[in-house]
Amino acid sequence: MSAPAPEVLRLERVGKRYPMGDTVVDALVDASFTLREGEFMAILGPSGSGKSTLMHILGFLDSPSTGQVFFDGCPVASLSERQRAHVRAEKIGFVFQAFNLLPRLTVRANVALPLSYHGSPPADAEARIDRALALVDMTHRAHHRPGELSGGQRQRVAIARALVNEPRILLADEPTGNLDTKTAAAILDLFKELNRLGRTIVVVTHSSEIAGHFRRQLHVRDGRVTEGGAA
Amino acid sequence: MKRLLSGILNGLGEIWGHKLRSLLTICCVMLGVASMVVTTGFMEGFFSGWERSLQEQGGVEKITGSPRALPERQAPLAPASRGFTLDDAEALRALVPTLDVISPEIDFPGARLSRGSRRHEVRIQGVTNSIFEINRYEIARGRMFSALDFADRANVIILGSEVVRECFAPGEDPLGRYLDVAGQPYLVIGVLQHYERLWGTYNTLQWKNKIAFVPITTMATKLRPTDRLNWLNMKARDLSLLRESVDAASNVLAQQHRGLIDFTVTTNEQQLASFSSTKAGFVIGGSAIAGVSLLVSGIGIMNLMLASINERVREIGIRKAVGATPFNIFSQFVAEAVTLSLIGGVAGVGVAVGAIKLLGTVLPPGSAPLLAPSAFVVGFAFSVTAGVLAGIYPAIQAAKLDPIEALRYE
Repeated sequence: MSAPAPEVLRLERVGKRYPMGDTVVDALVDASFTLREGEFMAILGPSGSGKSTLMHILGFLDSPSTGQVFFDGCPVASLSERQRAHVRAEKIGFVFQAFNLLPRLTVRANVALPLSYHGSPPADAEARIDRALALVDMTHRAHHRPGELSGGQRQRVAIARALVNEPRILLADEPTGNLDTKTAAAILDLFKELNRLGRTIVVVTHSSEIAGHFRRQLHVRDGRVTEGGAA
Repeated sequence: MKRLLSGILNGLGEIWGHKLRSLLTICCVMLGVASMVVTTGFMEGFFSGWERSLQEQGGVEKITGSPRALPERQAPLAPASRGFTLDDAEALRALVPTLDVISPEIDFPGARLSRGSRRHEVRIQGVTNSIFEINRYEIARGRMFSALDFADRANVIILGSEVVRECFAPGEDPLGRYLDVAGQPYLVIGVLQHYERLWGTYNTLQWKNKIAFVPITTMATKLRPTDRLNWLNMKARDLSLLRESVDAASNVLAQQHRGLIDFTVTTNEQQLASFSSTKAGFVIGGSAIAGVSLLVSGIGIMNLMLASINERVREIGIRKAVGATPFNIFSQFVAEAVTLSLIGGVAGVGVAVGAIKLLGTVLPPGSAPLLAPSAFVVGFAFSVTAGVLAGIYPAIQAAKLDPIEALRYE
């Protein structure tokens, strides 16, 4: 067996507590795992299990209360809000259940959005947008607005937006939750294709059927993370 | 620069997205700016008129010497009082170097002019050529008095435009013709410019047209045989020398009159002081109006921005998720507020220009507002300031939103 791929993210005993009224809720307890380059992983758990909290920490939307997070080997546990925004702009691509496109912007402008928040906008911005649109097969709809697209098309645009900054990780939160079975299958196929091209992809879902498509599964229950068997 | 531009473009998109609401807010700013520019225009018009009328009366450097009754403690000496004479003018010229114009004047009110069948009553003044400088008269045609006119006590006369109108047929050239003054023929050697500044239909400068001048020597020997002057007006070389000149002139005159204080020496300072204090009052009042307008526009903008943030929590969440920093969000919202107020400001300046032009054709020139360039700068600065100030609070609110909460928001 060859040497393991370089690690992207490593969590060591990461915990997250929220004050809720008089009590404190442990949303995440001692989560430890390593995510390597090129992995195709599902985080599986029922609603309220803590999987959203885990995704927020992986996506730098939130900081952990305890424990250590390493990104590319560097400890990044406590970043300021501004620093986390920079990481999101340059290293993470998000895909959401509700697509979350900006309705007033065209498809192209939606895809371009993350680039406008880059510290130094890349010189090949236009080419990157074209590439991302071609990858999800949405070039012909570049000048439409999200309202004129079907659900599957909107999710493709959202995926293009997540890819345009060439992120280290593509994070998807229930990406097929709002789609019919056939469209959902097409989106999953797109993820598989992207992974085959080398993207590191993490999908959060409550459906074990969808999780079954992924090579690696993490189960989250009551804030505790356990490794599931490879499919 | 590119970011600012894209911020403004984005702001325009948002404004277009809420047409009615944005229009109402823009109207707030527009009316605020317009009312301020028009108010300033009215003040400019009013004060420039006042300032000019002060200038027409000789400006602030003018010193008026006029005779008056002796004070009570000197009353028994009344028979010794001889009033102003031409000698006093000579003494002032010799002894007070800070005066650059000295104008002795003898009045002949209600003098009868006649020419053929035309008769006219007018105020004639016996003067030197200093009168033209001190009271701002300009000869439109003909000439001033010459040294020979004074030496010969010549029968020559310079007429105001109203006198010309009364004594000559339209189109008739008065120069070189004769008029009868108190039964003697006088040669017309000059005609004064016509002065006009309307306040309503009333010409506030008509007094400058209803006048005629003869050499002071002619007046003193032929028309009013007297050596008493009605006025001895002076002008200081410079405003800074005014006080000094008044004191020096008073001393010289007291010495000339052997200690009898049968004269007063006054200046236009009182008028100037009331001018300044009125102007200050107007400026304070105007600033208060501007301040209220600023507040109203600011409230309008802030209201719109707060409402718009409530609607756009999700958008803010999305932008943050794809990498917008709090500062990116903050500047986006400030740019929107500034764009909004800038449109209002430009529209307001446009409305103000229209209103001032319109008022200029309807109102008489004396009371019409002026287009003051400074008002545009202020109006512009004002709208941008309102936009920035009103945008800051909503923008901070937007920047503070937690992206996780914002994304969950329906």
